[in-house]
Amino acid sequence: MREIELKVNGLRRKLGVADDELLLDVLRREFGTTSVREGCGVGACGACTALVGGKSVSTCLSRAARFDGAEITTADGLPDDDEVVDEFVANRAMQCGYCIPGFVMMAHELLGENPQPTDEEVVEHLEGNICRCGTYSEIHAAIKAAATRRAARNERATA
Amino acid sequence: MTTVESRSSVAAVGERWARVDGRAKVRGELRYAADQPVRPCLDVAVHRSTRPHAKITAIDTSRALAAEGVVAVVTGADLYAEFGDRLMTGPAFSDQPCLAYGKVRYVGEPIAAVIAHGVKQAREAAELIEVSYDELEPVHDVDKAVQGAPFVHDELRPSIVFGDLKHLRGKRDTNVNYEYNLRKGDPSSVSGTTVSYDFWCPPTHHVPIELPYAAAWCEGERLELMATTQTPSYVRQSLADLLDLPLNRVRVRTAPLGGSFGAKMYDRLEPLVAALAWTQKMAVKITATREEAFLLTTRHGCAVAGSMTADENGMIVASTSDVRYDTGAYADVGPRITAKSGLVAPGPYKIENVRVKSRCVYTNKPSAGPFRGFGVPQVTWAHESLADELARQLGEDPVEFRRRNMLREGDIAPVGTPMHSADFLGSLDAVTEAIGWGTPFVKQEGTLVRGRGVAVGVKAVLTPTISNAVVQLNQDGSASLLISTIDMGQGSDTIMAQIAAEVLCLGEGDVRVIQADTDVTPYDTITAGSRSTYHTGNAVRLAAENMRDKLVELAAERFGVEATDIKLTSDGLVSAQTQETVSVSELLHGHFGARGTTLTAEANFSTSWQPYDHENGLSPQVTEHWFAGAAAVQLTVDTATGRIHIEHLAVAGDVGRAINPAMVEQQLSGAAIMGIGHALFDQMVFDEGQIVNGTLLDYQLPSIKDMPDKLTPIIIESPHRTGPFGAKGVGETTIIPLAPAIANAVRDATGVRITTLPLTPERVLTALEEQP
Repeated sequence: MREIELKVNGLRRKLGVADDELLLDVLRREFGTTSVREGCGVGACGACTALVGGKSVSTCLSRAARFDGAEITTADGLPDDDEVVDEFVANRAMQCGYCIPGFVMMAHELLGENPQPTDEEVVEHLEGNICRCGTYSEIHAAIKAAATRRAARNERATA
Repeated sequence: MTTVESRSSVAAVGERWARVDGRAKVRGELRYAADQPVRPCLDVAVHRSTRPHAKITAIDTSRALAAEGVVAVVTGADLYAEFGDRLMTGPAFSDQPCLAYGKVRYVGEPIAAVIAHGVKQAREAAELIEVSYDELEPVHDVDKAVQGAPFVHDELRPSIVFGDLKHLRGKRDTNVNYEYNLRKGDPSSVSGTTVSYDFWCPPTHHVPIELPYAAAWCEGERLELMATTQTPSYVRQSLADLLDLPLNRVRVRTAPLGGSFGAKMYDRLEPLVAALAWTQKMAVKITATREEAFLLTTRHGCAVAGSMTADENGMIVASTSDVRYDTGAYADVGPRITAKSGLVAPGPYKIENVRVKSRCVYTNKPSAGPFRGFGVPQVTWAHESLADELARQLGEDPVEFRRRNMLREGDIAPVGTPMHSADFLGSLDAVTEAIGWGTPFVKQEGTLVRGRGVAVGVKAVLTPTISNAVVQLNQDGSASLLISTIDMGQGSDTIMAQIAAEVLCLGEGDVRVIQADTDVTPYDTITAGSRSTYHTGNAVRLAAENMRDKLVELAAERFGVEATDIKLTSDGLVSAQTQETVSVSELLHGHFGARGTTLTAEANFSTSWQPYDHENGLSPQVTEHWFAGAAAVQLTVDTATGRIHIEHLAVAGDVGRAINPAMVEQQLSGAAIMGIGHALFDQMVFDEGQIVNGTLLDYQLPSIKDMPDKLTPIIIESPHRTGPFGAKGVGETTIIPLAPAIANAVRDATGVRITTLPLTPERVLTALEEQP
């Protein structure tokens, strides 16, 4: 058991975690983040994806103790006017919805690194996430639309 | 008083309404079953068999019981002592115990359950249980299983769910638990060009990304359960039978499912948690790991020895199919699959001489059950490969060959039932036009060879089934819909709301669907087999019509006019005679004299069938209606690596009428993408009964990288005379013809006919090398 501090969706907390506890379980239990979910337990489906310092992490493989001091973002903590969320909704990029928050976080990571990804770059980035309903076309379209909207917003901001 | 113009043109049905809770799904705020608040539960983990077929001679639970955090350890024998033969559940045969006793029948079968404080403690303690076995000879494949001993079960024990299985009770010395035979004409009496092959589809897994979960506890003298299930009404009955309780002492709740595709129905984790909660008087929950989910159910592996014969005019004159479904250690709904899919084994063609022998066979493997398509993709793999090969051997275009032989409106299918609202021709024409069938294309580029293929599919809707719906109209004009259909991604909550809204002239967001809860929502047979849009949709339509009639009566009373004079519009109720109008809200307030009141209406919708003759398999109405779909594909095969790349995939399904076209397109595309997996790489691999690829590191699923360069979903609408606004279901339609369409394109590109799925690069390369 050790004490760590996590900042999850802007909320900072000190908490005790067992050495082998997974970040996934700590996020769900301690912070009530329903958007990170176990799908495979081996980092192969992406349903548990969160961003740690802007980088995607498979929380089902990560020991919470290693994240002392980390800033973590999950899909349910995104701001109300989040462009990626808006475009996923507008493009109908959800069916059962279980895997979708993982795709949303992957989209955030991608657009953070590469504001105007090509189609190939979108595909490469999302390859590790599985949507069993097969919503890939809609997810792809949503990310492209979010990139366009974000570029327009940035242009307005710098104008 | 103002004159209102009727706005009945404001429609709900046919509109692309946004999915209910779409934003909550994207943000991850929607609560699935495991996220629902329930009372604090102890965790359950199970110890599993390491033998495919063995007698259990002893179980030592002492080390597990002594482990930290462990509250109780329960064996199958403990439960059998409590419940006797009631421990055996199953929709067709009462053959499956939630914990094995006496005997194990597959590697991974649960034998004992540990109840502990914490998942980790439970799982670790489960490892400490020691089981002694006396090994029996196992049977691993269907062909060996049909020949005779060893037998997986000593005796067949049909459940009471399917009355037509009763005659099998007590049957011994067989692994064949059901056999369906279709006999029409005599295939041996005709001559012509015949093609025949042996086909094989391996078992596959559904892999919904949400893991199976169930929690149960006692509430006084009642049993309550929250679980990932698409069959809450069935589960209530099954648990009531198990615990010997009246139905009103069992409550089953569920939540939106994170996918299912057939994996979360009938008896999965529910009997186990119910039995533990009831006998131990504890609140317990179990979440399957992904590895365990692979052991809960699978899609049937299936062998088909088939032939098809055409005469000199290119007419199909005979078809034979010997179909063997591998149902594993427990029958589940395999007997239904065997019959319902066996009866379409000849395909959507007019054929005078037909033989089908379809058998459901026990082996020592995890139990197989329903999976999107309900066994039909496996027989379609055979009949669409045969039809294609026959056309090619006749030197004819495979599309024209199919068009000539296809069943049309009013034609009698080989099973004896007429076709209505099953537009095979429209589906076939749409997909072939989409990919430019008949237009020239570059056949070869270096090591890449290019081809086109097509396939069609036919499936009968699950019949007979029963649906009920209750509409509660709130005083403010909003509505609540009580149904037990489960939204598992197909969008039923949205389209049921659209159906109710269409009748009641309500707008988007005005109708809320209540989560299935057997204490609250009325009986619905199951959410499966693409039946809900038609069956539950009709119940919802009828309930809404009853509500409309009630509103009309109230308005007639209020206005002092005849009910026939009143019309419901989106602005409320209006009298044609007096031009008086009243909103629904005012009307209900006036009637009850209070705010927040509700008006309730309900309806039932049931379908019937005429059971097939057990001698010849024929029935004049074997199903309520038919599904028709088609797929066409253009692809390349790399002759150096064996890799298949899909350039364009077009899929079409006849849905009668699209209640929500956007969601229909997602169902068509989603089923096609799942079908790409089955065609190219999805398969469960067993070694002596042990799954060797039961993790998502080893089990390949279609990712965004496997998407075709272009995917075209096409909605065909051939309205059904009794569907709600002409509608019927869609979820399975395009997975059915997918694999043969791809294999037929590979045949077109390479000249090689492959008859075993999936079409992995290794298999393609081997076939190319062995090409005569």
